[in-house]
Amino acid sequence: MRRAFAKALCAAAEKDPDVMFLTGDMGFQVFDEFIAKFSRRYVNVGIAEAQLVSMASGLAKEGFRPVIYSIASFMTARPFEQIRVCVAYPDLPVLIVGAGGGYAYSSSGVTHHAGDDLALMSLLPGMTVVAPCDPAELALLLPQLMTLDGPAYMRIGMFGEPEVPAAEPPVLGKARLLAQGEKVAVLTTGDLAAAAREAVEELHKEGIFPLLYHFHTVKPLDTAALESISVKARAMIVLEESSPVGGLAAAIANWLAAGGCKIGFNRSGPPDLFLCGNPSRATLAKRFGYDKRGIMDSCRRAWQQAD
Amino acid sequence: MESMNIEALEKKAREIRATCVQMACDGKVGHLSSSLSYVDVLVALYYGWLKVFPEDPGNPGRDRFILSKGHGCSSLYVVLADLGFFPKSMLAEYNREDSCLPNHPCMHTLPVMEMSSGSLGHGLGVATGMLYGLRLRGSGSRTVVLLGDGECNEGSVWESAAFAAAHKLERLLAVVDYNGIQAVGHSDEIMGHTSLEEKFRSFGWAARTIDGSDMKSVVAALDRVPFKKDKPSAIIAKTRTGVSFMENDVLWHYRKPSEEDRVKALAELNAKPIYGRTI
Repeated sequence: MRRAFAKALCAAAEKDPDVMFLTGDMGFQVFDEFIAKFSRRYVNVGIAEAQLVSMASGLAKEGFRPVIYSIASFMTARPFEQIRVCVAYPDLPVLIVGAGGGYAYSSSGVTHHAGDDLALMSLLPGMTVVAPCDPAELALLLPQLMTLDGPAYMRIGMFGEPEVPAAEPPVLGKARLLAQGEKVAVLTTGDLAAAAREAVEELHKEGIFPLLYHFHTVKPLDTAALESISVKARAMIVLEESSPVGGLAAAIANWLAAGGCKIGFNRSGPPDLFLCGNPSRATLAKRFGYDKRGIMDSCRRAWQQAD
Repeated sequence: MESMNIEALEKKAREIRATCVQMACDGKVGHLSSSLSYVDVLVALYYGWLKVFPEDPGNPGRDRFILSKGHGCSSLYVVLADLGFFPKSMLAEYNREDSCLPNHPCMHTLPVMEMSSGSLGHGLGVATGMLYGLRLRGSGSRTVVLLGDGECNEGSVWESAAFAAAHKLERLLAVVDYNGIQAVGHSDEIMGHTSLEEKFRSFGWAARTIDGSDMKSVVAALDRVPFKKDKPSAIIAKTRTGVSFMENDVLWHYRKPSEEDRVKALAELNAKPIYGRTI
């Protein structure tokens, strides 16, 4: 997904001379093409995330469109107040990109875990929060993000995510239908969509046909899609590689509690814990039931209950 | 604007101070000493040094001024009103509910502010971005950031200081209001009696310490900015409130002046506030 991001960034810079790219000393070799083509619009601010954010704010004040980049945990939690005060409060069009969001850096230790990136960014008024599922979707969402008048956060993964086929192109703010079905709806965000898609396809062999929606846009929440899902299905399973506090599932649960749409609600994802012990990403997904097998099990249970 | 002589600038500074005292009294709010201490710097900047356009505040050719220590905003409000950025009568609304002039400035309610402030350690970083962008656009505009000495406790100030020097932001001027007082103590004690001038210099800036309450020294220092080619400039301005009974006392970081305090201060300043009282 990082190469797709670097490529889409070049395309955006080609199109708009005000696009600038600032990194907090991250992205070795990933942005070589951008640096070669737009050296004046590339700044390595150094390992100084507060400066990275506040400088982007100043650039945006002067009419530029800064895109800022670091590892998701360092990009969101560390300069949170800079993002809040210098970007979100003045409502400036800065695109904040967190690489390796969620538990993509699972085996690098708790310092590198970013189970809270989507939650932290969703806390900020006016912030658009997205987590694309694959390189192709990222490439189509980035130009849409570059037209926003205010700030946005994009969680991107690592390298080599599988492509998730979809009939419709992604539209910022709208949930994307990945598989038609009935009774049970699976809702994903970020690169969990690939495992969810595989799980749903295998379930077809068992005569189980869950709907599958991908919420690349976590905020603003596509409540119109949720309403339509509530009509089509009796239960939903929200998959997220995020803290249960403040992420997609929490946003949906809040909406359900306030709005009264009647639909069963389940969540699969990591718990509200620091995950010590050097786990692999696959281990975490298996342990907490959001790998392919876990998703299939959740769907089977929900399908039986829905009958 | 026609430049004013030192005497006229000093008179203006007394008028601004008198207005701040009345606003703090009427608005029933503290942070008075934080607004008073840098008044001479502010007056020297706005009545001669900064290129500003009260009738066209967003003019791209303007110099940018960022008040990073937002809690000291009342004197900036007074100067902006005095120059005609907004009506002087608005000063009577300082710190009232629904006012455009809260006790930490908000760019949404008062759009002539370059930035909202209130939380410390942000202004210098934003200024580096503005200036970096201005330079890319070929603009000769300068950017001035007013920081508190207590604010320089914040690590983010030094991330920005390092960046500004590394990128040779010569049109950047940081003025530190070195009034010696922060929220719960004296800044020298808290920072272990280390020199701010040396700190800026070791970060690659050209820096000098001046008597920031002596108009002549302030104007002379500003006239020499930028101090060195290819380096950002820092002025460490040792300042006083300008009101004898408020000098060097942490209490006046918080205290709301009583009517008696107001009368006493105005008499000492020998100046009148620039807005009429409505209460």
